[in-house]
Amino acid sequence: MSETIAVSTSNTEQRTTKTSEERGKTPGLFRLISGKVLVDSVVRLNPVSLLSNPVMFIVEVTFFIVLAMAVDPVAFAHVASLSLRAFYIEVAAILLITVWFATLSDSLAEKQARTTANSLRKIETEVMTKKLVIEGGETKVVPTPSEKLRKGDVISLEKNDVVPIDCDVTAGIAMVDESLLTGESTPVRKAPGDQLIGGSKIISDSLTARVNVNPEETYINQMIRLVESSKRPKTPNEQAVTIVLIGLTAIFTIIIIGMLGLSITLGLAADLSVLIALYVCLLPTTIGALLPAIGLSGISRLYERRIVAKSGKSIETAGDTDTILLDKTGTITVGNRQAIEFLPFDGHTEREIGEAAFLSSWHDDTPEGRSIIRLAYERGYIPKELNALALSEVYEFSASTRTSGVKLQKGQGFMLPKTGEKGTKGRFRRKFADVSLPDIEPETEGAGTEDEQESEIIKGAPDSIRALVKSVPAKYDSVLQGISQAGDTPIGIERNGELLGLIRLKDVLKPEIKDKVQDVKAMGIRPVMITGDQPLTARNIAKEVGIEEFVPQAKPEDKYGIVRKEQAQTRVVAMIGDGTNDAPALALADVGLAMDSGTQAAKEAANMVDMESNPAKIIDVVMLGKQLLMTRGAVTAFSIANDVAKYFAIVPVLFATTLPQLESLNILHLGLHTAVLSALIFNAIIIPLLIPLAMRGVAFKPANTMTLFLRNTLIYGVGGIVAPFVGIKLIDLLLTLVFHL
Amino acid sequence: MISPLEIAELVLLLAVVLLTAWLYAPFIVKVFKRTPSRVDKLLNPIENSIYKLLGIQVDRSMGWKEYFFSALLVNIAQMAIAFVILTEQGLLPLNPMHFHGMSWDLALNTVVSFATNTNLQHYAGEMTLSYFSQMTAIQFLQFTSAATGLCCGVAMVRGFILQSKGLGNFYVDFVRAITRIFIPICFVAAIILVALGVPQTLSGYITVQTVEGATQQVLVGPVASLVSIMQVGTNGGGYYGANSAYPLQNPSPITDLVQIFLMLLIPTALCFIFGDYIGKKKESLPIIVGAYALFAIDLGIAFIPNPVTVGPGLETRFGGFMSTFWTVVTTAVTTGSVNASLSGIHPLAILAAFMGMLIQSTPGGKGVGLMYLLMYIIITIFIVGLMSGRTPEYLGIKIVARDVKLVMVAFLIHPLIIIIPTVIAYASGAAAAIGMGPNSLGFTQILYEYTSSAANNGSDFLGTLGNTPFFNVSTAIVIFLGRYGPIMCLLALSGSMLGRKRATATESSLKTSSWTFSLVLVASILVLVVLTFFPFLALGPILAYFQGHLNFFSLGLWV
Repeated sequence: MSETIAVSTSNTEQRTTKTSEERGKTPGLFRLISGKVLVDSVVRLNPVSLLSNPVMFIVEVTFFIVLAMAVDPVAFAHVASLSLRAFYIEVAAILLITVWFATLSDSLAEKQARTTANSLRKIETEVMTKKLVIEGGETKVVPTPSEKLRKGDVISLEKNDVVPIDCDVTAGIAMVDESLLTGESTPVRKAPGDQLIGGSKIISDSLTARVNVNPEETYINQMIRLVESSKRPKTPNEQAVTIVLIGLTAIFTIIIIGMLGLSITLGLAADLSVLIALYVCLLPTTIGALLPAIGLSGISRLYERRIVAKSGKSIETAGDTDTILLDKTGTITVGNRQAIEFLPFDGHTEREIGEAAFLSSWHDDTPEGRSIIRLAYERGYIPKELNALALSEVYEFSASTRTSGVKLQKGQGFMLPKTGEKGTKGRFRRKFADVSLPDIEPETEGAGTEDEQESEIIKGAPDSIRALVKSVPAKYDSVLQGISQAGDTPIGIERNGELLGLIRLKDVLKPEIKDKVQDVKAMGIRPVMITGDQPLTARNIAKEVGIEEFVPQAKPEDKYGIVRKEQAQTRVVAMIGDGTNDAPALALADVGLAMDSGTQAAKEAANMVDMESNPAKIIDVVMLGKQLLMTRGAVTAFSIANDVAKYFAIVPVLFATTLPQLESLNILHLGLHTAVLSALIFNAIIIPLLIPLAMRGVAFKPANTMTLFLRNTLIYGVGGIVAPFVGIKLIDLLLTLVFHL
Repeated sequence: MISPLEIAELVLLLAVVLLTAWLYAPFIVKVFKRTPSRVDKLLNPIENSIYKLLGIQVDRSMGWKEYFFSALLVNIAQMAIAFVILTEQGLLPLNPMHFHGMSWDLALNTVVSFATNTNLQHYAGEMTLSYFSQMTAIQFLQFTSAATGLCCGVAMVRGFILQSKGLGNFYVDFVRAITRIFIPICFVAAIILVALGVPQTLSGYITVQTVEGATQQVLVGPVASLVSIMQVGTNGGGYYGANSAYPLQNPSPITDLVQIFLMLLIPTALCFIFGDYIGKKKESLPIIVGAYALFAIDLGIAFIPNPVTVGPGLETRFGGFMSTFWTVVTTAVTTGSVNASLSGIHPLAILAAFMGMLIQSTPGGKGVGLMYLLMYIIITIFIVGLMSGRTPEYLGIKIVARDVKLVMVAFLIHPLIIIIPTVIAYASGAAAAIGMGPNSLGFTQILYEYTSSAANNGSDFLGTLGNTPFFNVSTAIVIFLGRYGPIMCLLALSGSMLGRKRATATESSLKTSSWTFSLVLVASILVLVVLTFFPFLALGPILAYFQGHLNFFSLGLWV
């Protein structure tokens, strides 16, 4: 209950927000195109390597047939004619280009995946640790990348260091923040013999520790290799889509063979190249071409967000999430608290506390310390002794006393002018450049007075403060309890042995988390908040962020039970975790996102790892999963819907010479000679036109499933019927008017 | 366009069908769930003695394989018995007209056709079959084939029920379908038909003197009972070669409407049973909307041209409207009975008939229509449902690669068994041998023959013309594959649903019981099923339409 300064995770925090902003969209797809990509795409035209993509393989087979017709039309006695040789060459060229567009999309997607994966690799090697090596009786510090550490190595850990890997404390005492691992925002005291969990953070003092596990071969390298391999295993959904594509291909093969048979036996004189054109147009070439790229780009988009997935399947599962477990600390709240109120005790004023708090926090660079100064500043409690701070003696926060403070020398009063860059405001601007301060004119005036005393101000855990002061008011405990019950944290503050009052610290919501929770809810997904806090605290936070369900006083071990309960109700559960205690739950959950700062066990159990260790990204993962599935569905539906127009383009000219009455079906009024080329060109050109969609994913606003379904069906289903009518007509006009074909 | 009065007549009839079917559906569910009912007292002893006689373990539920092969074996056994009756009818009793036995190929075609609820007839009943054959081989198979289809449909539904252990016991389903559904309805229907003037007698054909003094044979027989099961069971094999165009099988517009009602009744009721049976009533919505929206589209296409009131091949009793309406209905529910010569029907109405047979679920044949609709729902969920941002699932069951494989195989069967034989019929000269020239009219008739066979519909242009070894055998094969292939795939699909993990629907699931989904279903069926055959339809009825034909009588070249 009586807590001191919680710990800053602000460094990672800030980096995350920055990268999220920078990230935006995939850098221009055109920039991915390089000579190497082009060569690669041409190499992939090799029929053997196309075997894994049956639709495109068949298109290539038809290319060879039409090519043969161009070379020797006479050999195709009844189904080809010498006069159409030029046409055959045109058709063959378009067919080859169609296949090349498909291989190009593959090459591009792989390039994109490799590029993003490599940027991840850089991040990983950035983590350096201070390895202690004894050389000739002398202990030397050797900077070592975390993945080079081996069991038994001894490392030195100082304030603000992240524990790189699980180890045992050998010397020293320190406060360690395990909030990202255990969800508990209270720092833990670690002494020799205690275990340090990889991913926790030293917040005060320093210690040495011995590594007690070997790091795995970095999982990230394994995963990157998975993506780079062109033999990336198909996900279950991809497999099923492939079966549909093969089925459709088989159906259209029967149709075309049937048409060919009829044409020959009935003397309808259909040209084989036109039949082949109809065949290729009907084949689901668009989705056939883009299917591999869509899946790979889904993984790339995760990489761009610095998340590594162990398999493509886990991304798809993320799209199915019904319940998302959100740890309060780190996901919903920033993981540290901010001052919101000064509570004076009898005989003292708010101003007294404010000024004392200001002074005692001047050297405290934790977010809590800054928030205290900010609050004091906003309320105009600017102490006269400000100038004395420069010469003051600072008591740094220590885990053993759980207090921090300052000792001001006698007669060093406030002597600065109150305005100007050198004045109070200027000093604030410089020290708090990152904090937006309201424009308040501090009410301080003049110089310090002679009667100033030497004074000592200490703030810290209420229990520790109690021990330092002469007396506490009777209501001390009940006030503390009141604050705790409201979900806030009290900090005691005393001046020269006199208890002034309390500072109330409050959990602060992460920026944008409310919107994200709203998005999640809009998509019909249930967010459940998990926290170690009291029920009352939990309820307040949950209410504030808009979450209806929460589990208070939960220990990391409890997550397993929560996941199991949700799954027993047949829900798909997504969660984050980083501590060893989270590992079973991470393994059980359908989607488990581990923090890179977390323990090896957690990372192994999870199916994704966030390199930036930002737990709020679990929501992004779910959205990306949905986007991947939507993209695949959209392109499939679009591809199949396209067939409607293609029938109307080609069937009328199929038997143009023998059955002119079918011209009535030519509702687009396409030219007799250009209809087939127009349809074929549209069929080919739509592939590169959709590459950006495939690689970036369909855009969507969070909404419930049926709204998304309806919206996408209208855009890609109905749009898929309309688009080729327009596109084929335009190409036809172009061919007839511009090229006079 | 048709007149407002006719539209009103049509809408009213469909409304009555929907209402009756909706009221009747819970009864069907009760029959197959074996819920205790009032008729138990009467029927239980009869059924129990049948179970005892055949050694059926009433409570043993079957997996899909056992269910399917039980149905298949029972059907094949029935075919064998009927085959003997038809080929040996000359030796059998109740043959007052002394008809000879059927040729082997015609008998094969007939038994396969009747045992599969197809009722393609390459013979004219009144000139070929004895009373005994009509009542045993024909009528018996009409009952059993309808019951088989119904049972398979129900068995497929059972796979979707939560905690279902099996697909049910085929023999029990089969017996109950006959005793509790078909016999009662047919009994009532037959009485109504007799009251409306359809003959029911075993006294032999009557020779009468006409007003002009000539003598004419009146071909009476046990017609009413056969007509009732032929329509109720969506069989379609009539007593007479001219089917319900024959005055004694369908004497008046009233009997015409009654027969349309009977055809639609059970297939429509089956659309309603799905939700009821699985305990999620709303899930019937996409089925009923899918079936009737597509049916409405068929009707719309059929009625684009103004149906001629009197024309060759049409009965003046019914005229163009009734004939066209009947043609669409009989193909929409794969009955295959006719009340006019198909040759007299407008090409666009024939196009609508093709659509009904290709889709097979508007609302489709007994049980099988429901099976196809479930298949379409699954493939629609799979292809379009992905766009909702979730991996596809139906009723909480994930649709996996194996399901998709089975659906695609079922899908593939139709093009395969329609297109290949059509081409062979022309390539081998078999079509030309019966006068089906290489032109839109002839092609339509050949394509129709195989489409009707594959869809187990049974209506056809050819009739006795088709009585050649080539057509008898080829259509028999197509009918057999078209019946049992998809049923096997779909029962396998349903059987694999048993014991699979299923999620209860959450806020984020795709709602299949919504209007949105139902309409998307309709669109995807049109694109996936009908469009596939577009090039062939373009050479047949569509070309005939553009060539200005009003019916299929004029046979010429491709002009």
